[in-house]
Parts: sequence; structure tokens; C-alpha cells
Amino acid sequence: MVGESEAVPPLRTVGSQSKSLFSIFHQIRQLNTNRDLLGQLTKREIAARYRQSALGLSWSIIEPILLAMTYYFLFSMLRGNTDQMYAVWILLGVLIWGCFAKTLMGVVVSLSANSTTIQAVYFPRVIHPCVKMLSNIRITVLSCSVIVPIMIIGDLPFTIHLIWVFVAIIMAGLLGFGFGLIFAPLNCSNRDMEHLFRFVTRAGFFLSPVMWTIDMALEKGWGELTLFNPMAVPLTLVRDGVSGTAPSIELAWIGYSFAFLLVSWIIGAYVFERNQAEAVKYL
Amino acid sequence: MTLTTVELDNVDLKFPRSSGLLSSIKSIFGKKKEGFTALQNINLKVNSGEVIGVIGRNGSGKSTLLRVIAGIYPTDEGTCKVRGEISLLSGLGTGFSRHLSGRENAILYGSILGHSIQTMEDYMPEIIDFSELGEFIDQPLRTYSAGMKARLGLAVASAIKPEVLLVDEVLGVGDPNFREKSMDRILSMVDDAGTVVIVSHSFALMKKICSRMVLIDKGKIIEEGDCDSVISAYYDLYPKKA
Repeated sequence: MVGESEAVPPLRTVGSQSKSLFSIFHQIRQLNTNRDLLGQLTKREIAARYRQSALGLSWSIIEPILLAMTYYFLFSMLRGNTDQMYAVWILLGVLIWGCFAKTLMGVVVSLSANSTTIQAVYFPRVIHPCVKMLSNIRITVLSCSVIVPIMIIGDLPFTIHLIWVFVAIIMAGLLGFGFGLIFAPLNCSNRDMEHLFRFVTRAGFFLSPVMWTIDMALEKGWGELTLFNPMAVPLTLVRDGVSGTAPSIELAWIGYSFAFLLVSWIIGAYVFERNQAEAVKYL
Repeated sequence: MTLTTVELDNVDLKFPRSSGLLSSIKSIFGKKKEGFTALQNINLKVNSGEVIGVIGRNGSGKSTLLRVIAGIYPTDEGTCKVRGEISLLSGLGTGFSRHLSGRENAILYGSILGHSIQTMEDYMPEIIDFSELGEFIDQPLRTYSAGMKARLGLAVASAIKPEVLLVDEVLGVGDPNFREKSMDRILSMVDDAGTVVIVSHSFALMKKICSRMVLIDKGKIIEEGDCDSVISAYYDLYPKKA
């Protein structure tokens, strides 16, 4: 309340939006200021995903275990693949791709899916897509914990290179976040974006090194081409991390993937901040 | 000292018409905004300690005006300035989540307005007392009746004592006892120098609590002043049917 003894807050313009080319800094400031809210909404998002489930969050671990068993049965027992770890590489690919694809889809629909909240109360709208990214990162980290028993069974060394697993998860989340921000405002007026990105994430699953590895592509002679896909780096880094080796991809390609991530976030932040307020009128 | 807490200066707002992919890209990303005018040339000043009632027919722009003040819709022309924290109590629930309990929703809403979990826990006895929810405070919101949601909404929004409280069609909900309580709560807020803007079709209720009223028609303010004159202007515009 505006009391006589308290400092009087100034009149501030409401409903204004950042039009700066570097809206990314504006977004980071907003996310930092609202980190408590971000934490609570992320918790709510994860709870909502496993709502009315007896096993709840345990599904984030049970699902990859069941997947690993399925892949082992399919690739090692049925197809007779000689690489005993092949099923594990596929599992890691599926988990990292899942983090990217779910974040991308979640961010694209983040404004349209939260229309009730957006029309009832104002808070920085970048929080909605960020909640999608953080919840997917958190669930993927939990899912990746299944690699610990797998590494023990497979006699893989626990080295400092395990850090690449976390780098890969964060890269996948941020790539989905930055790219999704570009299209989130447009999805408010036209839900074609939703359908388009459902196709993109499904097609990308097969076109990215999820069910295959960069080494397999290099043998076929088109390995370099696949590295233009920014998701190729996190998908390879996670496998390097679990095998306990240094990154098998050239530093230049890792730099390329990071640059892609940063540029897509800068563009995404600019497009999102410039257009989100107008897009909300469509909800 | 009288302070201006809400100031709208020549505010225009247009809503885009639903259209195809290309025209929506143009509408969102383009500079020239096209569509139907929801608010036109709105000039309004509200001071601290005032309760302003906004009346008009359905679709006249009342709720849109509150959303502009709350910062939900950006203005196409003109500026909207607000002093301090704003809380919009709209419909039945303030954007509450159906799957969370009343307590969790209250804490979440407090966080949205920048209050810590501890602060909201401190407010909780007052919220439970005012909303009369008792043990239902820990039940999911989907099990609440319309009246319970309205009681919780007003209890939370008023407990955190925002400088500006915007109330959209909530006071007509609930039993007569709740309406009395709501009125008392709003008046006590005003005593603490808060500002309240109310949208309602309940003129009798508005006359009791509003210090001033505004009549909106087709997105324009066409009358502003004391309650009797504005209500009379409303009936001049839309005569009562015999």
C-alpha cells in the first residue's frame, strides 16, 4: 500500500515491450529477477506431467530402463549387433533428442497453452517457455541417471568426461528454447506452427544421429554434412562422456554448434520480446 | 497527499481479426496494426484511495480496459502508467491452476506478484479465514464451487494488499453474506490508500462502494462522474424495457 511512511513507487508505463536487438539480456534479467517464480512454476510443470500417476516422477527413470532393455533386445539379440554398447548409444541419443524435441514443442506452444494465465495476470512471458526448458532439462538429467548402473555393468570408466553428459543436456535444452522462441508468438495466431514442428521433431529424429552415430555416417562418406545439424554435437558429446573419452568431434564443430545455439537464442529473444504482447491479443 | 496511481493517456487498442497464416504474420510482425477497435482515445486518471466503477454493456471494452491497466494488453496508441503493484481479479480464479490446492495456488499467485513463499504462508490464516475454506484450502481447485473460487481469489488478491486492485465481475458471485464481506474488504483496502477499479453489472453494489464511475460504450468513455449521473447516462443510452 502507498503509506505515508513508505517510499512512494514511481509511475511506470505498463505493457511496454523490449525492441532491442539484444533482448536476450533483457530476458536474462527478467528470468533472474523472477527466479523464485521460475522455480515454483517448473516444479508445478513437472508435477502436472506425472499427475494422477502412482509412480510419479519415477517414470522418468523407469521409462529409459525399459527403453534400454527394448533396444538391447532389438539391436543386440535380434539383429546381432556386435557392439554390445550399441543399445546404450541409442538410448542416450533418444534421451538427448527427447530433451530437445520436447523443449522445442513446449516452447512453440508455451504462450497458446497458457492463455488462461496470460489473460488473468501479468508477469514476464518469457517465463512460460523457460519453464518448459527447465522442466525438460531436469527430467532428462534424472533419466540419464540410468547410465550409472549401465556403466557399472558395461565396465565403463567414471571419468571427468562425464561432464559432457550435462553439457549435452543443457545444449539440447537451450537449442530447443532459442529456436522455439522465434515461433512461439506466431503460434498464438496460427496453430500451423504446432503441426509443422511436430513434423520437424519427428523428421529430425531420423535425420540426426539418434538411431545412428557420426562414426557410422563418416564410414558412408557423408559424416561432415551431418555435423551442420547443431544437434549432432550434443548427441555425440553425450556418448563420448559415457565412454569416458574426450570429445570425438573437432573443436571447430563444437564451436559451430555453440554459435548456432547463441545466435538462435539472440534471434529468438528479439522476435519473442518484440511480438509477444501483440500475439497475446490472439489468445 | 493525493497521488495518481493509474493514468491512461489517449489509449487506443485494436484486436486483430482471425485470419490466414500470411495475414497473421503481417499482423504480428508488421508495424501497421489492423483489426477492430476495442478501446479508443481513453483518458482516465485514478487517484490513491479511490474506488472507480466501470460500467457498460457486454463487449463495450470494460474488461479490456482492466487488462490494459494490468499490463496484459499493450496499447497501440497512447500510454498507460501505474504506480505500484497491480492485482487483477478476473472471473473466477486469477489464473489459478485447477490441479493445485487452494494453498498452493495462493502461494503461486503471491510469487507471481513477487512475494516469497514465507510471506504467503504468513498471510495464509487471513486467507483461510476470509475465504471460509477451512480444510478445503488443501483440496485441488477443481473440487471447488464457483463461489469458493471467487472467495479464494478475493482473499488472496486483497491479502497481499496491492496498490491497485482490479476487480472484474467477481462481486456478483457468491451468497449475500460473501458480497457484504467483499464490499467491506474493498472499503478497508481503500482506507489504507489503495486504489480499486471495479467492473460489474451490479449497479446497486457499485453505488455503495464507488466514489466515481465511468461509462464505456463501443470502446470510448462517454460519461465520467458521480455514480448517479453515470448510471442515469447508462439508462439514457439503454433505456429500461417496460
